[in-house]
Amino acid sequence: MTSVAERDGKADRMAKPIPPVGRRDLGWLGIPLVAGVGLAAFWLLPDDLALLTRIAASALFVLSLDLVLGYGGIATLGQAAMFGTGAYAAGIVAVNWNNDPFVMLAAGGLAGGLIALATGALILHARGLTLLMLTIAVGQIVQEVANKARDWTGGSDGLSGIDPAPVLGLFRFDMFGRTSYLFALAVLVAGLLVARRIVRSPFGLACRGVKEDPLRISAIGGSPKSYLVALYGVAGVFAGVAGALTAVTSGIVGLDSAGFPWSAEALVMLVLGGTGRLYGAVIGTAAFMGIHHILAASDPFHWMGFIGLFLIGIVLFLPGGIASGVERLGGLLRRPAGKGEGGA
Amino acid sequence: METMFGIAVDGVAYGMILFIISVGLSVTLGLMRVVNLAHGAFAMVGGYVASYAAQSAGLPYGLALVAAVALTVLATLPLERLLYRRIYGSANELAQVLLTIGLTFVIVAGINYLFGPTLKRIPLPEMLTGTVQLGPKAIPTHRAFVIVAGAATLLGLWWLLERTDFGIRLRAAVDDPAMAAALGIRTERLYLATFALGTGLAALGGVLGAELLPLEPYYAIRYIVLFLAVVAVGGAGSIFGSAVAALALGIVDTAGKYLIPNFGEFFFYAALILILFRWPHGFFKGRTA
Amino acid sequence: MTKLLEVEGLSKNFGGLQVSSDISMTLNAGDRCALIGPNGAGKTTFVNLVTGVIPPSAGTIRLDGRDITKLPAAERVRLGLIRSFQVARLFKSMTVREHLELAVLQRDRRTFRLFASVARVAGLADEVAGLLDGMGLTHAAHTPVGSLAYGQQRLLEIALALAMKPKVLILDEPAAGVPHSESQRILDAIDRLPKDLAVLMIEHDMDLVFRFAKTIVVLAQGQLLCSGTAREIVADPRVREVYLGSRAHAH
Repeated sequence: MTSVAERDGKADRMAKPIPPVGRRDLGWLGIPLVAGVGLAAFWLLPDDLALLTRIAASALFVLSLDLVLGYGGIATLGQAAMFGTGAYAAGIVAVNWNNDPFVMLAAGGLAGGLIALATGALILHARGLTLLMLTIAVGQIVQEVANKARDWTGGSDGLSGIDPAPVLGLFRFDMFGRTSYLFALAVLVAGLLVARRIVRSPFGLACRGVKEDPLRISAIGGSPKSYLVALYGVAGVFAGVAGALTAVTSGIVGLDSAGFPWSAEALVMLVLGGTGRLYGAVIGTAAFMGIHHILAASDPFHWMGFIGLFLIGIVLFLPGGIASGVERLGGLLRRPAGKGEGGA
Repeated sequence: METMFGIAVDGVAYGMILFIISVGLSVTLGLMRVVNLAHGAFAMVGGYVASYAAQSAGLPYGLALVAAVALTVLATLPLERLLYRRIYGSANELAQVLLTIGLTFVIVAGINYLFGPTLKRIPLPEMLTGTVQLGPKAIPTHRAFVIVAGAATLLGLWWLLERTDFGIRLRAAVDDPAMAAALGIRTERLYLATFALGTGLAALGGVLGAELLPLEPYYAIRYIVLFLAVVAVGGAGSIFGSAVAALALGIVDTAGKYLIPNFGEFFFYAALILILFRWPHGFFKGRTA
Repeated sequence: MTKLLEVEGLSKNFGGLQVSSDISMTLNAGDRCALIGPNGAGKTTFVNLVTGVIPPSAGTIRLDGRDITKLPAAERVRLGLIRSFQVARLFKSMTVREHLELAVLQRDRRTFRLFASVARVAGLADEVAGLLDGMGLTHAAHTPVGSLAYGQQRLLEIALALAMKPKVLILDEPAAGVPHSESQRILDAIDRLPKDLAVLMIEHDMDLVFRFAKTIVVLAQGQLLCSGTAREIVADPRVREVYLGSRAHAH
């Protein structure tokens, strides 16, 4: 007969010591691995480039969520607000002024970052249920604005006719999707490199502290909210770029790009892959979207039911996601070779 | 003036529905420290059961209502034992979000599978159609009924909490869980009973509010933010707070829809963000997870 | 003598309950002061008031001449008022080294650098190495704190406090919970604290108090009972009554 207080205490005590950051990502191996696998996929699966492109762009979005959730401990159901803002910003810029793909990405990143900073300052004082609700509210606002500003966004019909110029003036976005995919892959890899830099920086260190114990951060003179808002803003840039990338590679932007279901799907993909590891975002996205493709669920409700069962299953059976399974396996393999290190 | 009165009546009725549905969410958050994002889905299930009972099984409104509440509670009790119990406590926030979203998605898909994507109505009995005279003004009978039901729920909950054994134990366990356990309060039975109470009220609200919150499969996703807002603004675990917040939000939302129809929703969400920025713990000091 | 900490008339009541009444004290540079009193005397509340965790109902606090009564806790830390916690409060997932790096970076306001590599921040490695060495923690530099022995955690707490370059250091029962075999290290570390630092230590262990403190302040029931040198305090009949009269058991 355990009360909630006892349960809370037990959860704290049962938490195994988490290995420090250096052991949680793949080190120097991780990003070249992603690039390598990505290029291999380009040659091995030439007919599935549209899917692979969507995976790459979505992985960048899920990466942005990992920054706020995995490294900052901010539970949000509104990350899509920044994605959608970035997508629309990129699309509007392309349709009206400048369709250079890098300009589009910059517009998306800037828009996503600004929205994140502005809303973060207003809502990140909150935690738990309140914060969740506020993040959903922000997403609703973005959708509402996109819906009402028909002249700019196309309203419920969506924004179409986005026709990006050739990359660097040389590589045309061909109809086979080759340029799209390689462009998306390159942006994803660049994103991973930048994210890794940030996570290992003084800022990243402070954010990890805030995630674990905000009071302790105050006790060493830091302001937890400032860090969280800054991190939220940085992640907003990533999400905005991911949205812009989607606009570049698919040519359209719809209202659902800012909606709650897309935020929830990102959360599923991240948790599937494993939070707080950066590469978990890539694994989770690839696995999830791959499964979606194979099951070819055309009815959105069926797909939703599947995601639901999936989520329940993850919580019950694999709370650390695929990455933790991989790490545990790695730990098992390492043990016969020498003494087990503290942690992984 | 006519409009003002109309807004007030609709706003209060809407607020009452929000209260009846959300109060269960507030109490389960305050007691078991669980963020139940599937709460809206429970309300939806209640509405659908009543709709089916009234339309396909031909039950009268009252019976359909009772059936809806009873069946919804019965269906969700095993969920409490099998699923929810594993994720109580504020240390499990992410697991709670994931599990309850997953449950919501499953229920939404299930409802769509069983009943299809079209809007479902619950035919009102003769008694509740038409208008009722309140001095010089006339109010739709249904709205008046909802308002009375909301007030009755508030009074009923007050009585339950202040005047019964169950209520005392519940308040003790919310105020100080460790102490309550030390005093021998059977927390697991308390949780089950509270969960049932919350779910039952959600189902009740889903049925009564079918005119204001139309029943379609996306209900659970579309309206959960409203229920969360009531709890956040009212303060978790505070019944009175939920009532005040629900009424306030109901009136603000209705006013927004009437007066600025093009930007009503935007106004509502912006107001929400600003209210919580100014009063982070809600109107009444609750125990936010 | 520089007055580093001046507390005047500090009081706190919660509703009708007066937990701290009219406490005044001064710490000068180089002071070694122990704050003692029976359980429930309000020692930790006093520290929470001084460090800004809870706001006072009345009174003023000055740090190195500056009025900090209304400043938030983090701001007081930045001005040099540092405390350690009664129960070690560290980041379990970070290594010993990372704790000190973070403290130094935070102190120097270099934590908003997103693209720098922690390993390559100028002067950081040297300073952290010095702190580790001073506490005898060099061998544990890469151990996650969750795996660290409790005594070493308390040492890290002190190292962390020093990393912040305190003017006034408040140690809340620094040796509490540490097994005897490891407490010597902590006592040595306290002996070696910088001479111009003002240190206030809350303690129950009288051996430690007599070894460490030049002055002692006695708190009882939220009020300042008396203060003075160790000899004066021991001789004071009021102190005897408050401690020995009530048969307070040794820790």
